[in-house]
Amino acid sequence: MRKILAIIIKDAIMRFSGFSELLFFIILPIIFTFLLAGGTPSGDEDARIRLLVVDEAQTALSAQIVSELAASSAVRPEVVSRADAEEQFSQRRASSIFIIPAGLDTASLQEGTAAVDFRQQPNNLNASIAQRAIQTALRRVSSAVSAANTAVSQREEAMPFASDAEKAAYFDQSLELARELQEDTPQRVTVIRAATPDQVEYDPRANSSAGQLITWVFIPLFGISELFAYERATGTLRRLLTTPTRKATYLLGTISGQVLMAIVQMLLLVGFGILVMKLAWGRDPLALAVMLVCSALAAAAIGSAMGAFVKTSGQANGLSIMLGMVMALMGGCWYPIELFPPAIQTFVKVLPTTWAMQGMLDLVLRGGGLVDILPEAGVLLGFAAVFFAVGVWRFRYE
Amino acid sequence: MPSILEVNNLVKKYGDFTAVKGISFDIREGEIFSLLGPNGAGKTTTISMLSTLYDPTDGDAVIAGHSIKKYPMAVRQVIGVVPQDLALYEELTARENLEFWGQMYGLGGKPLASRIDEVLEQIGLTDKAKNRVKTYSGGMKRRVNIGVGLLHKPRLLFMDEPTVGIDPQSRRAILDTVKALNAQGMTVLYTTHYMEEAAELSNRVGIIDHGELIALGTQDELTRQVGQTDTLLLHIGEEEDPEALSTALRGLPGVQNADVSDHTVSIITPSAEDILAAVVAKANERGIKIRSLDIREPNLEAVFLHLTGRALRD
Repeated sequence: MRKILAIIIKDAIMRFSGFSELLFFIILPIIFTFLLAGGTPSGDEDARIRLLVVDEAQTALSAQIVSELAASSAVRPEVVSRADAEEQFSQRRASSIFIIPAGLDTASLQEGTAAVDFRQQPNNLNASIAQRAIQTALRRVSSAVSAANTAVSQREEAMPFASDAEKAAYFDQSLELARELQEDTPQRVTVIRAATPDQVEYDPRANSSAGQLITWVFIPLFGISELFAYERATGTLRRLLTTPTRKATYLLGTISGQVLMAIVQMLLLVGFGILVMKLAWGRDPLALAVMLVCSALAAAAIGSAMGAFVKTSGQANGLSIMLGMVMALMGGCWYPIELFPPAIQTFVKVLPTTWAMQGMLDLVLRGGGLVDILPEAGVLLGFAAVFFAVGVWRFRYE
Repeated sequence: MPSILEVNNLVKKYGDFTAVKGISFDIREGEIFSLLGPNGAGKTTTISMLSTLYDPTDGDAVIAGHSIKKYPMAVRQVIGVVPQDLALYEELTARENLEFWGQMYGLGGKPLASRIDEVLEQIGLTDKAKNRVKTYSGGMKRRVNIGVGLLHKPRLLFMDEPTVGIDPQSRRAILDTVKALNAQGMTVLYTTHYMEEAAELSNRVGIIDHGELIALGTQDELTRQVGQTDTLLLHIGEEEDPEALSTALRGLPGVQNADVSDHTVSIITPSAEDILAAVVAKANERGIKIRSLDIREPNLEAVFLHLTGRALRD
């Protein structure tokens, strides 16, 4: 145990012998987490996507649509003039604009002649989310109108209206009632979401916190390979094995040290997420601990296996960064995995970052607990077992 | 004195290549034993097997009663190793390095701290102990490299060419350290390709070449194998052809052997003075200009030349 501790302390001293390591350990991860979360300093602020709305109709129906958008959890409507909206859009300061043209009212909706205009910047995630939010708002508004129309038809069959004015008044009353009922039915929204297979689950703060945590921890853990290559190049590994120290002791000390440092780094980033970004990382501490340990073990195992094959420190360093970045990107750490084509979504299941990210999102985004993350944790432990076996089997000291 | 190391027919093969071809020797407790041989002779491979780093292909060695094949961990407890290349953590200070390696030898707490103080004193780095090794000169790093091997007071210290690539002053300091350690009772196995180091330090010398131990004994015993011979060294210009001169000289009466190393022709002869005039005449006859010459009495260089027909060179 003393030898393992000595190896851990030695590696920690070497790793933090320069300021630059602190930069990569905590400063840059926090900066990137903050920036990719949209620079949101706390959960108290409105983190919804800004949507420019041009209301040229100025009718009760258009007001109702804007109201539905304001109630959305995804977008924050900002009503502006067409000129202002188009200027911001052309300067790419707005990801999308939603124009409600003049003439859009209940009658046009009933007649089926109603149309709206939506413009979005190409390949923009926020615009895609805004589009979905608009579709939801329109669906809610039109379903209320549809309900009112049905009510009018049924009333007319049972008892014809005396005049058009009476019919119009009955329609308005029915529409108002339908809207009231709609407001009190949040469960229906939940049902619709659950039935949608390809929805984009995205919260910039949660995704950024989880994604950056994985990115900045996996890369140094892959760097275990660099540690092995360095010790081979300097002859210290060879010398170590002339002391009464077993290979297993060296491997255990080196790997456990790096895993411990990774867990400290992850806890710091989780702490930042909880305290500054107001994220719900701490809902299930046991589940969080399981995910952090399993993720770190999987990454450390890959680093150990790489260490058996790389020849130089430089090669190991380059490979660690390249693999870490690619795996983070493909694993959904930078963009929601749901945005990838279905074939890619299937392919990236071979990456540990995919499972780590999904497990983390289960906790911080979807409010899951220990049971929910068990599949991800199991797969990560599988990665760890396979790659540790390769690393130990092919371990060499020169 | 009893033997602390007994090597029995040790063999190391890499595929078809045999690096060490069944060498046998012993080292007595308290002596300095040198393995002398050119680069690639098998010295480092032998030390690597004795320090349990490589498994021998055949044969065995017993160190302080423990077989290197059966009880490697027990062997590692009694040996210290000073590798040929520096094997230190340059980002750590000298003290941190010694602390780490001491713990790898199973030391700890106050005994380790006081032993580190002793070793730092011994290698003359007490004042610089808190500096990172990467700030040290090459000689200072070599001293720390030796210090690591001394921490646990090994009964047998392996030193693999510890003076390669360092300045004369540091080399002198290292040779003095080896003598001091031996004076304190430490047994040393010292490998080198410098004949004068082996001559200065060793109680006994083993000469190794192409993986074979070709001679073993004290300096006197080895030089007696050569007989009462001198070595005459002829240094010629770079534009001259040493092979032609060497061939011509081999036919002269009194020349036992002539060999070329760079632009120097080495002649083994019973009496250098007797053949000097004839050698110079032969060179003039061939039009080869001799720039300078040395006459050396029998030494380990001559022994190696005598045994292999080649000079002991870097």
